[in-house]
Amino acid sequence: MNKVLFFAHLKDAVGEEVIELDTNGKSVVEIKELMKEKYPALNLENVMAAINEEFASDEDILQAGDTIAFIPPVSGG
Amino acid sequence: MDDRYSRQTLFPSIGKEGQKKIRSKHVLMIGAGALGSGNGELLTRAGVGKLTIVDRDYVEASNLQRQQLYTEQDVVDKLPKAAAAASRLKEINSEVNIEAVITDATPEKLEELVKGVDLIIDATDNFETRMAINDISQKHQIPWIYGACVGSFGMSLTIIPGKTPCLNCILKKIPIQGMTCDTGGIIAPTVQMVVAHQSAEAMKILVEDWEAVRTSFVSFDVWRNQYTSMKVVKAKDENCLSCGQNPTYPYLDHENIMKSTVLCGRDTVQIRPPKQQKLQFTVLSQQLKALGYEVKGNPYLLSVEMNEQRLVIFNDGRALIHGTNDLTQAKTIYQRLLG
Repeated sequence: MNKVLFFAHLKDAVGEEVIELDTNGKSVVEIKELMKEKYPALNLENVMAAINEEFASDEDILQAGDTIAFIPPVSGG
Repeated sequence: MDDRYSRQTLFPSIGKEGQKKIRSKHVLMIGAGALGSGNGELLTRAGVGKLTIVDRDYVEASNLQRQQLYTEQDVVDKLPKAAAAASRLKEINSEVNIEAVITDATPEKLEELVKGVDLIIDATDNFETRMAINDISQKHQIPWIYGACVGSFGMSLTIIPGKTPCLNCILKKIPIQGMTCDTGGIIAPTVQMVVAHQSAEAMKILVEDWEAVRTSFVSFDVWRNQYTSMKVVKAKDENCLSCGQNPTYPYLDHENIMKSTVLCGRDTVQIRPPKQQKLQFTVLSQQLKALGYEVKGNPYLLSVEMNEQRLVIFNDGRALIHGTNDLTQAKTIYQRLLG
């Protein structure tokens, strides 16, 4: 199993901060697509991903037990 | 005021030597909104040698809730933020050399502004300017500190050329700006949390305590109670066009195509003429009044009331057209009044 964490307004789109999901063997981009299907209100375009608190690129693969977090870059200031 | 910095020099990682270093440094701060107010005040109180503040906007009532340098009188006077910030900061610490630059931080302007600069503080509100700062930082090997916030969510990253990945390594392209506007609003504690992270990093860099510089991308939500620190060492991309083996600095190229910009969530369009101008406000003001418009102004800008829109013109020819998100309409209004 894997934990998927949603930061900031992504948490509101999903309705929960964290969900449990078996994403074994899937890449970051595949998980993003999966999440979009599951939560139509969720926009993950340009959203950063971290696996176990380390920067992850679209091609990185999740292993069992990994936690993936989605962090939206923001521009206000 | 001999003991002015005593509490800061008692802090072992700064000390008297660190204070001398802070005093000898020049910081360039792009933006004088919420993050600019906070960072500007802390750097000025810390006794930095020189602070250059660049901003294109002027003070409005909706700024006062979080932009700590400004007052109701600044709103009444429609003072440009850079000028209002500089005058307030000079009252706080007269030892700091504070320079206000009222302009849009275009790549071309940034090239002029970075001369002799030790650190760039990002206090902007858009990714176009941040990516240009990112490229200029790599080109001239000057560290910069990204900071941004919306709602209750904030983030920061310190970029040291030659050591850390750059913002382009991490974001790859300019993210869609809409995400900021859609979520809506901002509360002051979010700003302060970002400012705290940025200014702590700034102090480390100014005293050259490179070991202490944070190497992770920090983000937090002060309302939803989230905090995360993402390690980014792995993100460093040898093929990155900003910081890789063969950099082309792609975001320094945009000068000629970015002439009008919709200011996110503000119902405002900015128009920038291709060539910088030097407008004669007295003449222009008389012409506009003759056309039947209500014109107000100060030495920095003219404000022209129209039926549906309000036009604010700066003396370099740049204008903000409030009351529209339509680029074409904004350009039409601009050209009708300014040719």
